[in-house]
Amino acid sequence: MTHPEIHQKLTLVFRDLFDDPTLEISDATTAKDVAGWDSIMHVTLIVAVEKAFGISFTTKEVKTLANVGSLIQLIAKRVK
Amino acid sequence: MLKNDRTELNYAQLVKRARHLDAASYPKLKVALLADVSTQHLVPLLRVLFASHGVDVVIHEAGFDTVEVETLNPSSELYSFAPQVIVILRSIMRLKSSFYHASGNRRSFAQIQADGIEAVWSAIRTHSQAVILQSTFVVPYERPFGNFGRLVEDDLGGSVGELNREICQRARLHPSVLINDIDYIAAWVGRRHFLDEKLWGLAKSLCALEFLPDVAQNIIDISLASMGRSVKCVVLDLDNTLWGGVVGDDGLEGIGLGDLDEDGAFRSFQYYLRELSARGIILAVCSKNNEAVAREVFQKHPGMILREEHIAVFIANWEDKAANIRRIRETLNIGFDTMVFLDDNPFERNLVRQLIPEIIVPELPEDPALYVRAVSELNLFETAARSALDSGRNALYRDQEKRETESQKFATVDEYLQSLETTARCQRFESATLGRIAQLIQRSNQFNLTTRRYSEAECKAMMENLEDYFPFTLSLQDRFGDFGLINVVILRSRPEERLLEIDTFLMSCRVLQRGVEQLAMNKIFDYARQERYESVVGHYIPTAKNLMVKSFFEQFGFHRTQTSEEGATQWRLEPAEYVPRKVFIEEPFAETV
Repeated sequence: MTHPEIHQKLTLVFRDLFDDPTLEISDATTAKDVAGWDSIMHVTLIVAVEKAFGISFTTKEVKTLANVGSLIQLIAKRVK
Repeated sequence: MLKNDRTELNYAQLVKRARHLDAASYPKLKVALLADVSTQHLVPLLRVLFASHGVDVVIHEAGFDTVEVETLNPSSELYSFAPQVIVILRSIMRLKSSFYHASGNRRSFAQIQADGIEAVWSAIRTHSQAVILQSTFVVPYERPFGNFGRLVEDDLGGSVGELNREICQRARLHPSVLINDIDYIAAWVGRRHFLDEKLWGLAKSLCALEFLPDVAQNIIDISLASMGRSVKCVVLDLDNTLWGGVVGDDGLEGIGLGDLDEDGAFRSFQYYLRELSARGIILAVCSKNNEAVAREVFQKHPGMILREEHIAVFIANWEDKAANIRRIRETLNIGFDTMVFLDDNPFERNLVRQLIPEIIVPELPEDPALYVRAVSELNLFETAARSALDSGRNALYRDQEKRETESQKFATVDEYLQSLETTARCQRFESATLGRIAQLIQRSNQFNLTTRRYSEAECKAMMENLEDYFPFTLSLQDRFGDFGLINVVILRSRPEERLLEIDTFLMSCRVLQRGVEQLAMNKIFDYARQERYESVVGHYIPTAKNLMVKSFFEQFGFHRTQTSEEGATQWRLEPAEYVPRKVFIEEPFAETV
């Protein structure tokens, strides 16, 4: 999957999870920028992303995520 | 309980619904969550699912891992919240750490852990009347010994299993504790799927988020049952539900039952339904059939497990099922929301769902072999017994049946009573039994001489007043079962007149004609003789319900000394005149009365 493809699919996941059909995310987006993205939601988000892309992150990987950009990179690494 | 199937239990969907939830108009239920796992993800699920059942749940989440601190401190937030339900969730991950830490000292691991758990229940009981939902531990999937672990004393899985058993055993003696069987859910789902090590590491989550809704639904099922909301009746269709085919077309010989039910699907289903009936669930029939034709199957087909005697209301006609179900409801005088309707035909199911929205209509799969599975998945038959004795009541009735069948084999009643190997324990009132004593005093109507209703506090006062009162109880056991505490006697001293007065004498009607009242009277006179009273005085105060003991004192040789206008009588007998009665009851723990 290319970066833009992942970004597109990830946007859908975000929109569905945060119940906002107009939500836009960029590489620089962090939890602070999205309403409702607290630590509880973060766990739900990770689980939803794993499910949507059919992949699994390690605990260490999840803990070192800084922003959406690094998430996309991680997905790119995992997706076959 | 779930109404149709389990599709509602989808984590993502429920989280979404939680955002737009408005349950403010529903009756409230205060639930506290105490856990050594994080409960944040559980909260929105509980809110949505309780709302689906018409309850506005108000949740107090205690701080992470503060179970003991919150429960032992009488002025904690837990108690000021005044919950009606306290949910205690414990993680296998934490327990494993304790287990590994206790290496070399595992023999009493289960006992010690159970002691700690029970101490929390007792602490809660001191400060709250809340119902306690105690979780079982998920048995881990790792096997340090492989299968051989089953044969080893301190195997990890074995120890956790033993702890779960210990928790359940002790819970039977705590009327306010109900079991929240998380291990059952884990096993149902598959332990390797249920536990999510990554989520535990990240967020101390009890399980994979995917299965949190199942945990939430379990909590709801048990909470509702403890509030008295439980299923009372199952209404059954007949054709293709209880047997294969249509009896009107295929005839008695042609329906899929017995020999013609090769895969045993309908037999299994009927056994399951019969089991529910034995448990106290009412069965009713609602079928589109000629009544005589339908009844004939119950009466004559050798393959039927259910018989007419299992069916409380039998309706077979050509009218619409909703109208018939309304008739059934009226006959039984229960709520539609306590009724379950099982029918293989989707048309009938949908019709009834539309016309009677409160009734529970599970989806049934096409394959009858899956009927039992489809019905049990919904956990419709959750129940909550309020006291240890109440929950043993079914066992008690079964024991009674055993006793009754035994009694056929004996020539005389005496022989029979002897064979029962009855033992009794006579004890002064004690703190441990005050609850049960007060319960008997409040509830006994028939075998009750004076019907004096003392509160637990008043019983306590009499217990502590060693000078003026001698209050005692008898507890009974026999070969077939334990009756528990069944007789209460309160003796009051009137020293100026050298009199011993029988203020209260009552007995549970379950133990009539076995010698209990004779044993109690023997004890009264033993005591009177011992303390050198000149006479024993008794009273009978008539009520609408205690006619059976009108001549109680007469049968023991008492002399009647007074009769009032209303029929109240007073009786007297001197210890020297009393003839001790022969009883077939042993007292292995005889304490000098």
